[in-house]
Amino acid sequence: MEYMVMECHSSYAILLDEEGRFLKAANLHYEVGQMVREPVLMREEAEKKLPFFRWAASGIAAVAACLLILFGVRFYRDSIRPYSSIYLSINPEVQMELNRKGNVVELTGLNEDGEKLLEGYSGKGKDKVTVADELIDRAIEMGFLSEGGQVSFSIDAPDEAVFRQYGTELRTRVQEHLDGRISVTIRITDRNAEVPASSETTEKPVETSVETTAGTLPSAEEVPPSPDTDYDDTDYEDTDHEAPGHGEAAATAAPATEAPSVPATEAPAPQSSAAAPVQTAPPAGGDTDYDDDGNGGDYDDDDDGDDEDDDGDEDDGDDD
Amino acid sequence: MDSGEKIIQQVYAAKEDMREADRFIGAYMPFIRAETAKWLKRPPVEGHDDELSIAMIAFHEAICGYSRMRGSFLKYASMLIRSRLIDHHRREQRHGGVLSLDMPSEKGDGSLGEILADGRDHSEELALKEATRAEIEELSRQMEEFGVSLTDVAGNCPKQKRTLAACQRAVRYAEEEPGLLEDFLRTKRVPVTRLAAGSGVEKKTLERHRKYVAALLLIHTNGYEIIRGHLKQVMKGVTA
Repeated sequence: MEYMVMECHSSYAILLDEEGRFLKAANLHYEVGQMVREPVLMREEAEKKLPFFRWAASGIAAVAACLLILFGVRFYRDSIRPYSSIYLSINPEVQMELNRKGNVVELTGLNEDGEKLLEGYSGKGKDKVTVADELIDRAIEMGFLSEGGQVSFSIDAPDEAVFRQYGTELRTRVQEHLDGRISVTIRITDRNAEVPASSETTEKPVETSVETTAGTLPSAEEVPPSPDTDYDDTDYEDTDHEAPGHGEAAATAAPATEAPSVPATEAPAPQSSAAAPVQTAPPAGGDTDYDDDGNGGDYDDDDDGDDEDDDGDEDDGDDD
Repeated sequence: MDSGEKIIQQVYAAKEDMREADRFIGAYMPFIRAETAKWLKRPPVEGHDDELSIAMIAFHEAICGYSRMRGSFLKYASMLIRSRLIDHHRREQRHGGVLSLDMPSEKGDGSLGEILADGRDHSEELALKEATRAEIEELSRQMEEFGVSLTDVAGNCPKQKRTLAACQRAVRYAEEEPGLLEDFLRTKRVPVTRLAAGSGVEKKTLERHRKYVAALLLIHTNGYEIIRGHLKQVMKGVTA
């Protein structure tokens, strides 16, 4: 193809090809009007736009990546990573791990019955109350729970507010769910303090009890990280006790410590009684269980929680 | 690196303005020569070595393609120059090392072109070249009245074949439509809407290549027969 030289500049020339294209090329000593066959064409400006776009595009990509990561982290934190746990105990013991939103991310059977209870059941992604209801239903069906039985929820939440919220929710809604069908006792406890704030018992702040609970004690005392404080939520009723915050927490820790996985199951009754003793002088409202156990006696003796004495026992359960 | 920054600023200025570009290139001729010498392994001979011209256009390309992110401008330019020189060398090799007719003859009595005998009638060719040059200069002048330079047109020219053909279709339509070209000459503006309507080419395309279309329309007015002749095949829609 022939190229017509249209213009000459010091560093390039403009050629017109037979197809109507105007092109820049090396000025190989051309003269205007000359016809050329083998020009050295300039490869060019197509580039000009690109760098900016490419730069902008990579900038945008970087920002997008950051956002994705942030969202990804948030998503993980809220929806995937276990944030709190609820230990459901009837007889079967099941641990429900929840994400920040309160939905189940993991279900584990903590004892044989617990595993049986979970067999074939898929609760992931469901709300905690739904799963609780469903598991309770299963337990009833499978014969683990019957009229007059007890369902305990031991909640392990990173802060007080969450603990209370979950506790209330569970109590009310599970109650509703079972209303008219079967009558059971629902217990809610704070796993962190392991001080059962059960509906049945009245608790009294008991510093003394602290000792008894050996293991838990320290934790209870030390810190009572949030749960302890308001532990005495009146939600949990039996408001008798006003806990000065830390004190009560310690209280019944004992039972919990004993068998972390089976606090409730062991012996609901004893636990109540355990609580009772805590009361020291003023017999707390009464747990008749108290007397029944015979441990009562022991407890009665103490006044201020000489749980010390009871140390050995704490096993309210055992005594049973 | 103050001088580095200064160069960068000049490059950016040269990108926008032809005169700046020429000036900048002129200022860096010694650099360009040095780069060429490195490649040739001897100092380039002005007027003889194509390599120098190629290095110059490579430098020009560097101005166009440079952006701050590419690092030092001179390094970039040097790289580009070398690249083009290599390409050229390979091309020449393929063609068996053709000598330039413009080369000065050894005896110094004129260029090879002038001395060597050749079957063709040079005077005719020369005349043709002159006539062509006249037409082109007239075209340039007229284009100036329209605010368009040939350099602008070269930059504005469609690269894709499809777009190129589309623009030409529009011009063909203008040729056939009575009065369109006259109006164009008179108003000094490209009637994009009418062209789009009449030829079926998208307005957007014509707008984008407005300057090119202007040049083409001009070429199709009176007085540019030689240039039109050069384009004849394509313009008539016949593939050469």
